[in-house]
Amino acid sequence: MIQILNTTLIGLTSGAIYSLMAMSIVLVWRSTRVINFAQAGLALASTYIGYEAVQLFDNYWIALICAMLAGAAISAFIEITFMRILLKHTSSGPIAGVAPIIATLGLLGIIKALITMNWGGQDVVITPPLSNTGFSIGSDTLVFSPMKLAIIVSVALLVIIFSLIFQKTNIGLALRASAYAPEIARLAGVRVDLVRTLGWALSGASGAVAGLLLTSYGTGAFSPESAEFSLLFISGFIAAVVGGLDSLVGAVIGGIFLGLVTAFVLMYISSSLFFIAPFVILLLVLFIRPQGIIGVKAGRRA
Amino acid sequence: MHKLSNKKRLFIFILLGVAIYFLSGAVDELRVYQGATVAVYVVGIASIILLTGYSGQVSLGQGALLGVGGYAAALLRIQFNAPIWICFAVAILTAALAGAFLGLAAARLSGPYLAGTTLALAVGLPSIANQFELLGGEQGLLFDVGFPPLSFGEDFTQYKWFFWIASLATLIAIFWLQNVMRSRYGRSWKAVRGNDVAAELAGINLTRNKTLAFTLSAGLAGLSGALLAMTIGTVSPSAFPLALSFSLLTGAVIAGVTTLGGVMIGAVTLVAIPDIAGAVASRFGSSEAVTSNLPGLLVSTLLILTVLFVPNGPVEQLHARREHRANK
Repeated sequence: MIQILNTTLIGLTSGAIYSLMAMSIVLVWRSTRVINFAQAGLALASTYIGYEAVQLFDNYWIALICAMLAGAAISAFIEITFMRILLKHTSSGPIAGVAPIIATLGLLGIIKALITMNWGGQDVVITPPLSNTGFSIGSDTLVFSPMKLAIIVSVALLVIIFSLIFQKTNIGLALRASAYAPEIARLAGVRVDLVRTLGWALSGASGAVAGLLLTSYGTGAFSPESAEFSLLFISGFIAAVVGGLDSLVGAVIGGIFLGLVTAFVLMYISSSLFFIAPFVILLLVLFIRPQGIIGVKAGRRA
Repeated sequence: MHKLSNKKRLFIFILLGVAIYFLSGAVDELRVYQGATVAVYVVGIASIILLTGYSGQVSLGQGALLGVGGYAAALLRIQFNAPIWICFAVAILTAALAGAFLGLAAARLSGPYLAGTTLALAVGLPSIANQFELLGGEQGLLFDVGFPPLSFGEDFTQYKWFFWIASLATLIAIFWLQNVMRSRYGRSWKAVRGNDVAAELAGINLTRNKTLAFTLSAGLAGLSGALLAMTIGTVSPSAFPLALSFSLLTGAVIAGVTTLGGVMIGAVTLVAIPDIAGAVASRFGSSEAVTSNLPGLLVSTLLILTVLFVPNGPVEQLHARREHRANK
């Protein structure tokens, strides 16, 4: 019983982080129809800025907000200075479909190289602000700790703020309109370019929080070579695909789903399935329900 | 190139082989080793050009297929002490088989989905290799092609032997690939790339075409992986990292992903950039952190600039310019 509870809570925590990454991928996909393969690199860069902010203010939560703002600013900057030109240049021709993928990979390389040049390749540590020793129920100690609770609460808060923006404000309406039909939105007076930049900025913010919380999920140590960040991108991508790639709600559900399934597979089948379990989920979703578990549109297939 | 007959092309390739033979005697050991690496990259890049440029599919997991080839060759060598030529052949077949399975799945996925899925594979597969005792875990397996035959003389070095094997395999592979590109399959890939709906209406089976491209590309990747394993002497999970997949893709884009003509440019660039970066860094007396990351920065910048300004690659660009001038 205690094991089931433990596994569920671990799954929820990692799932919450995947959800943020998935949201970040979905926001970019919705605004520019590009999968940003540099998303993990952006998250890493924001996390380093969070690290600097921790040195400066000595407060984790202020650093989290700094990282968010930095992530938003970097993403918006990249959209304006780079993606617009790229999409204009490569809208046709034999490699039109491939160009954004390759270009964002190039971006990933540049970001990583710049980070390593600036901060070096060694581990740096952002000390988690709360204890990582588990709560205890009676004589049993859970793996679930105050820090993990804080992760879930932070993610939930962010998701609520994002859904309020999307559902209740005019900005959200413009974001949804431009994603749904850019031409019509433009005719209706929406400044689609600006809205796209905003989509990227929100994506950067979400990715930044995912990156910082990811470090606090463990010991707080990370480096440019951390495998966790590549895995974070893969998990986010899978969660986004599970959720249908077009829907923010789907991204959150997909992330939680992925976290829970992975946690249970690792606990009850074999811990060596760490890489295989998410991959199998991805393949199953792509082949059985390519529109995602809550999506309605078909469009995944060639 | 298109107007040359098969005999003439064969002649050119043999001539190239002879030129490489004399070249390998004239340069120092380091250059010979780099030459072998160039050959490895040429095959790897060609596999991506076949896949991405000709059939329009993006794989970010080509490194994993190289790994399949490398492990197959090493296993065969260790378990059965098979001759190296058989090892290479089996590496090609094993990777092609893996590619066929992947291709069946891939043919149903469009651009970004396929890219993400193959990326997941590239991240996951090396760590799976860790799990099996047969594959040697983190240390991996030794892959020793043996000493060069004594009849080549005393001063025939190991690196020169690598270089010869790699060059010969590469020449054969590229010659074969050129033939494939000129066959009906090559033409139907071009048709699909141009307009897949029209191609399908003309009677081309899209799924079969894409799967075939994936299979052949994987076979080439397997050969490249076995050659890579030969030059570094081992196969291990860390020999086929994600960065390898990215480098090959970068090389293919710099070479011009729609034509085989620039494949050397891509491979030489990949091998030369660390040297160039080293020279630049030492000229400006940069710190160690900058020096070790300059190659990555240069490669990525070059990748983006190529996508932006010469999306079809330098060779195609030259062709286009020449035709443009001829039409005037």
